[in-house]
Amino acid sequence: MARAPSLTQSMSGVHTWVGLLLGWALFAIFLTGTLAVFDKEIDWWMAPELTNQDQGPVVAANVAQRWLQANHPTSSSWTIALPTERSPRLAVSVDGQRRGENTPLDAESGEPLAVRDTLGGAFFFHFHYTLHLPRLLGVWVVGFAAMAMLVALVSGIIIHKKIFKDFFTFRPAKGQRSWLDGHNASAVLLLPFHLMITYTGLAIFCVLYMPAAVDALYGGDRQALFREADPAAAAQTGRGFGRDAPKSQAPAAPLLALGQFVEQGEAYYGRGMVAAVSVSDPGQADARVTVRPVLGNRIELTKGQGLTYDGVSGALLHEPAPARASLLTQRVLAGLHFAQFGGYPMRWLYFLCGLVSCAMIGSGLVLYAVKKRKQARDDRFLAVVERLNVSVIAGLAVACLALLWSNRLLPAALEARASAELAAFFGVWLATLLHAMWRPPFHAWREQLLVAAVLALALPLLDFLSADTTDRVRLSIDSAAAMMGLVFGWTAWKVPALSAKGRSEPLLRVRPAGAAQ
Amino acid sequence: MNPAASFTLCVVLAYAGMLGLCLGMDRHWKQLATGRLPAYAQRLCRPIGVLSLGLAGWAAGLVWPVGMAIVAWFGSISLAGFVLLMLMPYAPRLALWLPVASGMLLAVAASL
Amino acid sequence: MARTAAKDGRAWQVLLLRIVMAVLGGYAFTYAATAALARLLPFDRYDAAAIAMLASFVVYLTFVLWALTTRSSWRVLLGVMATLPLAAIGFWPQLLEGLR
Repeated sequence: MARAPSLTQSMSGVHTWVGLLLGWALFAIFLTGTLAVFDKEIDWWMAPELTNQDQGPVVAANVAQRWLQANHPTSSSWTIALPTERSPRLAVSVDGQRRGENTPLDAESGEPLAVRDTLGGAFFFHFHYTLHLPRLLGVWVVGFAAMAMLVALVSGIIIHKKIFKDFFTFRPAKGQRSWLDGHNASAVLLLPFHLMITYTGLAIFCVLYMPAAVDALYGGDRQALFREADPAAAAQTGRGFGRDAPKSQAPAAPLLALGQFVEQGEAYYGRGMVAAVSVSDPGQADARVTVRPVLGNRIELTKGQGLTYDGVSGALLHEPAPARASLLTQRVLAGLHFAQFGGYPMRWLYFLCGLVSCAMIGSGLVLYAVKKRKQARDDRFLAVVERLNVSVIAGLAVACLALLWSNRLLPAALEARASAELAAFFGVWLATLLHAMWRPPFHAWREQLLVAAVLALALPLLDFLSADTTDRVRLSIDSAAAMMGLVFGWTAWKVPALSAKGRSEPLLRVRPAGAAQ
Repeated sequence: MNPAASFTLCVVLAYAGMLGLCLGMDRHWKQLATGRLPAYAQRLCRPIGVLSLGLAGWAAGLVWPVGMAIVAWFGSISLAGFVLLMLMPYAPRLALWLPVASGMLLAVAASL
Repeated sequence: MARTAAKDGRAWQVLLLRIVMAVLGGYAFTYAATAALARLLPFDRYDAAAIAMLASFVVYLTFVLWALTTRSSWRVLLGVMATLPLAAIGFWPQLLEGLR
């Protein structure tokens, strides 16, 4: 009988298998999560009918109010999404319509705008935590993958013997050695980020994933838990804003200008920090106006909170109470994951950290294939791994870019347009899988990376040709895409050298730039 | 200082700090600095690196309140380390002189 | 040949069993441990529940890593069995209610 393996050996086995089998899902989760850091900006890019008019939220609120007053004077509630730094969209909805059923308005004239029906950046956000599965199932699958990520991270630390000695070690052009270096260094240098983002992701859904404490102490009543967490907020949601809240019988009374509530909200939360205004029973004596902040005025995520005013007298009726320490902790953890705080510099830090996470996961997946290929066995399983690697890593990048392209190439007035975009995304992704099955792995890598490079590099061109105007956000997305395109192109260029097809010597040695050939 | 300049300073200091820690290791000193810097300078690298990392945290504190500054500080250090990692084999001279060059640019930008 | 195949088959069974014990047994253990922790923490009900929930991921992580790498499967089984006393601590009022 063989000797039982040592702890390091068995940890190494756990790391390899957990990392490999969940790595594909994790790569998709991390890549879409990274893109979702800029979800609103991608929304903006995908709605070229919206032009930035630099209309302040105060004026915009009054413009929207005039339109609602004229068109929906008898609705039981109004909700106005205001333009912010991240979105020029002024949109209104009435009677508790869901998001997506709202009407975008021109922030200057107040006339409804015909904005194309698009998936928007929100698609990446939803895909990030559901993988486009039915919501509850998706959240569980992503949670399982996140646990696997923690297992892979911790087992990786245990088996990595020279963490500090190899802290900055990266030796390119050495085949497997280089992949291992890159995988280790990207994992170790960003370890705080990897651990933080994975743990906080789990913490967001902790009541769902681990209901034990609620079952034991609250008899399984989650609503009781939420009520106890924040009694004031629970009392507040008790009234108004329901989907089919009955129309109140209060006498008619004029509603104050909504702009002044936005001004008060800005005084409370800070300039540019007001995202929305909602009004219940507009035009009646019991009208209530709630001013809601953008998510990122603090680290902690306080969804659904706001300042509530009497809509007729203008008196402040309710402001959020400071949260208790344990609730604050949960909100800070959620906020750390959602990355809505700290403005654009912080967003870029999160985005780049996310990209490195993707690189770490991707290099781990490739490392497995490189290692097995070196053992030069005709291995069915290896073939599957290589094909999945190509279509999950390069193929997903192509599919994400295809989504952006379809947003501009499909006719703006197409019926069920958002579904057509969805079909384009999944269709292209499936096509990359078929392509990867048809072509030898190295060719598949190279061709798909080249397609991604071309799609990304040409995205600015597409934007200029298909949109009338441009602005800072579209320009930023175009230039970021072009940068990514250069990275894809560079990687495609290096594929022959990276592949090191079963030989100890690479086919073509990658040399540091500038070194003599 | 305006937030953009402070943030840039934070990133440059984080990079300088990681470079200091890196040069404090013999392997990387040989890779980057031998023949370019005097040998006795190596002993200064680690303390300067630690100091610089600390100052990066201070610079982040100029942009954000404490909690956010800590998040940004961790992020900047990690990413600076990753940039250094990628620069070292491909552009060792750039890796070594980047903080000096960007520091000078920043000083010029600040004085304008 | 047949013997190695049989051996391989057995090895697979052992491995599968170990994975099931780690993933599902580990979840059961974590569930019970979280309930017990929430019950035992001397804080307000909500605070105790919140802390226990946030700690649960670390418990699960530790259990899974331990269960997948420890030598003896019997020891892992023992670990999974620890679910019962922990559940008894976590759910004792419900347990008493049921016994009455």
